Amino acid sequence: MIPRRLVLCLLAVSVAGCGESPARVVIPFVPVFGAERLQCAETAGGVQLSDLRLYVSDIKLVNQSGDLVDVRLDPAGPWQQPDLALLDLEDGSGACDNGTAETNMALRGLVKPDDYHGLQFTLGVPFDRNHADPLQAEAPLGDAAMHWHWRAGYKFMRAGIRTPDDGFWIHLGSTGCEGTVRNISACRFPNRVTVTLEDFNPGVDAVEIDLESLVAATRLDDGAATDCSSGPAETSCDAPFRALGIPGAAEAGASTPRVFRRRDSQ
Amino acid sequence: MKQAIAALLVVLLLAGIALTWMSREYDWGLDESLPLPSVPADNPMSAVKVELGRWLFYDRRLSVNETTACATCHIQALAFTDGKPRSVGATGALHPRSSMTLVNAAYASRLTWSNQLLDKLEDQALTPMFGDNPVEMGMAGREDAIVQLLRKDPRYAELVPAAFPNDEDPYSIVNTIRAISAFVRTIISYDSPYDRFMNGDENALGDSAQRGMKLFFSERLECFHCHGGFNFTDSTTHANSNVDRFGYHNTGLYNVDGNGAYPADNTGLYDMTGQRRDMGRFKAPTLRNVAVTAPYMHDGSVASLDAAIAHYERGGRLIEEGAYAGDGRRNPFKSEFIRGFELSAEERADLIAFLESLTDKSVLEDPSFSDPFLN
Repeated sequence: MIPRRLVLCLLAVSVAGCGESPARVVIPFVPVFGAERLQCAETAGGVQLSDLRLYVSDIKLVNQSGDLVDVRLDPAGPWQQPDLALLDLEDGSGACDNGTAETNMALRGLVKPDDYHGLQFTLGVPFDRNHADPLQAEAPLGDAAMHWHWRAGYKFMRAGIRTPDDGFWIHLGSTGCEGTVRNISACRFPNRVTVTLEDFNPGVDAVEIDLESLVAATRLDDGAATDCSSGPAETSCDAPFRALGIPGAAEAGASTPRVFRRRDSQ
Repeated sequence: MKQAIAALLVVLLLAGIALTWMSREYDWGLDESLPLPSVPADNPMSAVKVELGRWLFYDRRLSVNETTACATCHIQALAFTDGKPRSVGATGALHPRSSMTLVNAAYASRLTWSNQLLDKLEDQALTPMFGDNPVEMGMAGREDAIVQLLRKDPRYAELVPAAFPNDEDPYSIVNTIRAISAFVRTIISYDSPYDRFMNGDENALGDSAQRGMKLFFSERLECFHCHGGFNFTDSTTHANSNVDRFGYHNTGLYNVDGNGAYPADNTGLYDMTGQRRDMGRFKAPTLRNVAVTAPYMHDGSVASLDAAIAHYERGGRLIEEGAYAGDGRRNPFKSEFIRGFELSAEERADLIAFLESLTDKSVLEDPSFSDPFLN
């Protein structure tokens, strides 16, 4: 007969080591433009946030031995499934006029206690859920503003900034998909990004999302707003895709995305 | 044991008959020469659902500022187009493309001008309601307002549960979409002079239209290769269809860089696939009621039937100056069927007479497709 304690251990092992209760982890996200904090209602260096909502999935911490350990997100509430969250870093005010008052600025979950020094996550929705029926989807996938109906998947990220007479926005998602809506077989351009932040101290550090790196190649003084809808042939997507580290982006540079980086606690 | 098997067979047989009967239950009222439209299994037709969908189709409260209903860009008298080169959304945003006819959308194997992913009205309807680039009805983030409308409006409070009797909570976005789709599926044209002629009424078409019909179906003009079949488009399906048939074609409308490019906001299937060979490829729309759906093409850039015929006659459009200057005839991605032809003045008039014979007055005037808020 198997000892009862061992059975409980086996049940618990997916979220925590045997005999240890899982540790709570909160990972905040902060929108910035270079060194300045970005906000919808106030300008920082002449720039306002106009949108920033993103799906983050498959969140892992890296321990001292380099192992990737799953963070299990709290599934209660409108923002999270165990391995997927919608971060909403805009509050509907000021330039965020397409947005909502509700915000969700951090990932919240449980992880096996250990000494962690790194963070990894995927920007995007896993394939199966990305192409399922949005009208039957569980939160946070029921948000019509995040579903990209004619592209048959979700906007993994919608981000934008506005200056007094110019602006930029990007909608990131899978394109070049084959099949039909709700029956997608594959996408030639999945456009998911695995983000790895080394030297990330969970519980102390936050993740910065730097929109300046997204617009580094975009003129913000010509009065003509620029946008990228992730189209396979959209040249306005080349530079932001490189900044995001999209695999296969034209002239891919460093593999580590520059848009996401560690922010020291203050 | 044998008796049990026999009983089971009887039960299965009865269940089969019941299911068949249910799927045929809705009275489409169609001519027998027409196949029935295919209907998604999760959205069976019913008269009360169609009635609900008709109210919703004409309800401006389904837009962010209560200015715009589905019917705003799909006007019955214009065969459910809007008469504009490009449609305008609730907040004034100009759509890159022209409103498509909804007539016989039930038979469309793919919807919209150039999206090979969209094969069901239920999926297409989400984009005008919730899309934000461009804003059409602008309801993203306002789903609760729609659900509240369904619950609180006395008419919807009655029609919604009647249309979805098996749903625990029928007041939902998905049911809104389903009802509108069911209504749109009923907008079917089968009573044009051309149809009556084909059904044996020799007086339904004049001599000119009959000569035009011969031209239309000739190898000399090639029209029917893309605008063929009972619905005058190669992207057609129906309940008994077992092949997934659809086509996208570059007709040489543009050639802005000499290498086949179309204007950047309207590259057709290329926008979806990024494959060069898909540049400028758009769906061939049905030609039913084409005489009332001007202006033509995906961007409304061809003003009249006469100009549309001139485009095909030349084998591609020449734009002499401006941002879109270029010779579409030399577009390397052009369909092999756009080869050009010459028409005499009489032949041109005959061809137009035939196209005009595809106008089905009954669908343009049928009270069951009209705005119920006006009655």
